[in-house]
Amino acid sequence: MSEFSSLTEAVIKGDIQTAVAETQSALDAGSNVQDILDKGLIAAMDEVGEKFSTGQMFVPQMLRSAKTMQECMKLIKALFQEGQLRAKGKIVIGTVRQDLHDIGKNLVAMMMEGAGFSITDLGVDVSPKDFTQKAQEVGADIVAMSALLSTTMPAMRETIEALQEAGIRDKVKVMIGGAPVTENFANEIKADSYAPDAGSAVIAAKKLLGIT
Amino acid sequence: MERSEIPTFQPRLRVLNREQALAIHTAALEILEKTGFKMEHPRALEMLADKGCKISDADWVRMPPHLVEEALKTAPKQISLYDQKGAKAMALTGENSFYGTGSDATFTQDVETGERRRAVLKDVSNFATLVDGLENIDFAMSMANPEDAPIEDIYVYVFAEMLRNTNKPIVFIADSGRDIAKIHEIACSVVGGEEELKRKPFILNYSEAISPLLFPENVMEKLIFCAQKKIPLCLPSGSNAGGGAPVTLAGAMALGIAENLAGLVVHQLAGKGSPFLFGPNVSAMDMKSSVVCYGCPEWSLTQAALADMRDEIYGLPIWAFAGASDAKIMDAQAGAEAMFSILTALLSRANLIHDVGFLEYGSTSSLEMITMANELIAMSRFYVQGIPVNDGTLALEAIERVGRGGPGSIFLMDDHTYDHFMEALFLPKLLDRSRYDAWENEGAMDLYKRCNMEAKRILSEHEVDTKPDAVLKEIEQILKSS
Repeated sequence: MSEFSSLTEAVIKGDIQTAVAETQSALDAGSNVQDILDKGLIAAMDEVGEKFSTGQMFVPQMLRSAKTMQECMKLIKALFQEGQLRAKGKIVIGTVRQDLHDIGKNLVAMMMEGAGFSITDLGVDVSPKDFTQKAQEVGADIVAMSALLSTTMPAMRETIEALQEAGIRDKVKVMIGGAPVTENFANEIKADSYAPDAGSAVIAAKKLLGIT
Repeated sequence: MERSEIPTFQPRLRVLNREQALAIHTAALEILEKTGFKMEHPRALEMLADKGCKISDADWVRMPPHLVEEALKTAPKQISLYDQKGAKAMALTGENSFYGTGSDATFTQDVETGERRRAVLKDVSNFATLVDGLENIDFAMSMANPEDAPIEDIYVYVFAEMLRNTNKPIVFIADSGRDIAKIHEIACSVVGGEEELKRKPFILNYSEAISPLLFPENVMEKLIFCAQKKIPLCLPSGSNAGGGAPVTLAGAMALGIAENLAGLVVHQLAGKGSPFLFGPNVSAMDMKSSVVCYGCPEWSLTQAALADMRDEIYGLPIWAFAGASDAKIMDAQAGAEAMFSILTALLSRANLIHDVGFLEYGSTSSLEMITMANELIAMSRFYVQGIPVNDGTLALEAIERVGRGGPGSIFLMDDHTYDHFMEALFLPKLLDRSRYDAWENEGAMDLYKRCNMEAKRILSEHEVDTKPDAVLKEIEQILKSS
């Protein structure tokens, strides 16, 4: 049994109150903050991810767990800035220019965050310039783009070109997704990865950054 | 003794009582008045402000209910769509139902190889040809998002491709005010001018607001264009339970109806009396895969409920869906789901019923699926006709003849059977009822295989009446000017 088993259990159950209390008491007891994050919160979300992908959990339950984790993170987030905590990677995410459909993107962002990535969500209708600027600003490891309309898909290519022009294309990985997006299209525009759904997006992000 | 004529009851589905319908309508009005919506089109915003809507945060609109009531009064209760030769094809009013295909599938199931692959323009022409050749499919949509069409004019290209391959009415998609103007120009050239198109429209635009409560500028450009040009339009937002809308169907319907009514108000302000097809798309989001379902009972249920709300409150013809599936191939699931929605749509008297022929929650199109649906629609139409009861159908004389006729006297031999079997019974073409040995000798084919052969036969044998050269040339020129 991990020392954080009751925290883990509360996150899996989506019991926000208990999880926050458990996080606070772990902090009060002087537990290592990185351990609370890795062995408590992320371990819980890994199990949630596993249960979700094998059909043992439904989307709203998975999202409640992610929300529970977010609430716990509020208690320890300040410690990131002080350099005491490491995220698995930094992801800048948004829907591409002129695409206002964000349900899928929001789902991916929540799951990525649950998996321990630090997320900068730029929202909808994000221009190539804004993706690039934000990626530079936060030192992103991954730029993740979503499009629901085939007519907005060309903006994915333009964003990749903008990253290129800014000279940071070799520093960031590019992930794309959305209903009309295909593996072939990802290859064609030289994106690094395509994911058909939120669960596989997390797996793909980990793979891109060499995280197991 | 002559019997007086007995009216035939035609099977009819109802899923809401009047109290339920009114409560959903009231909730929709409350959403518009109290919560409001985001209107990103500056002129629409201006028109709404002029009419007394409250604007806050630059583009957030709160709408008084009386605007909805006024719009409902000016929108026409019937919309007639014509075929491309000017004959009345679809009288969208009352209890009339018409089925057609869907739009924008990324993939198609290849009719030769059975493989799922990216759709191309040639698929658009195949689907249009098939629609043209099937007696129970009344209108065409593109069924494809072809990868070989120039993306900035993709909807103009698929529209032109449909025109070359069918003369049935077309429900079309556009991206914004720019490409819809080109599509309109092409449509005018087909019928000989703008006035003629207004008089006998063969096109209907499908646009969507974004649930919850967002009206993007490009969508409203199209809506205002259609209102001004009198092009019939529908504006079903995707207020899917658990996705764009609350997970409970009543709330999802209230939200979708609110969005639809807000669109209707702008539409009637931009073009009083212009034709507007009522109804949102209220399906459900799958709680495991997060896809929006096309084969679920929820969508059929809300569809039937919207038909009830049409009858109780709105009086406008309604937009609907049927004949689609979440299955990845045309298997037993596809057949079951297609039949469920096809029959429900007819039993609830939905008016314009689209999406026939989709697999994979609308991501894959299938010629075989449409071919099967054509037969399922025939089956449903037979069923909905009910059981006519009169001297002829009670057939007491035939019973007397055969019953008292002695050995060798059978109904199959009787004139009454010969005279009536064609309309008295449903005679399937593709659904197999052959005896086992015959089925085996014919190649032991399942329904998918038979539909595949029938689709291929229609594609090779059906001749679409071609348009005059001058019209085809003009279409070509408009495409080139893109």
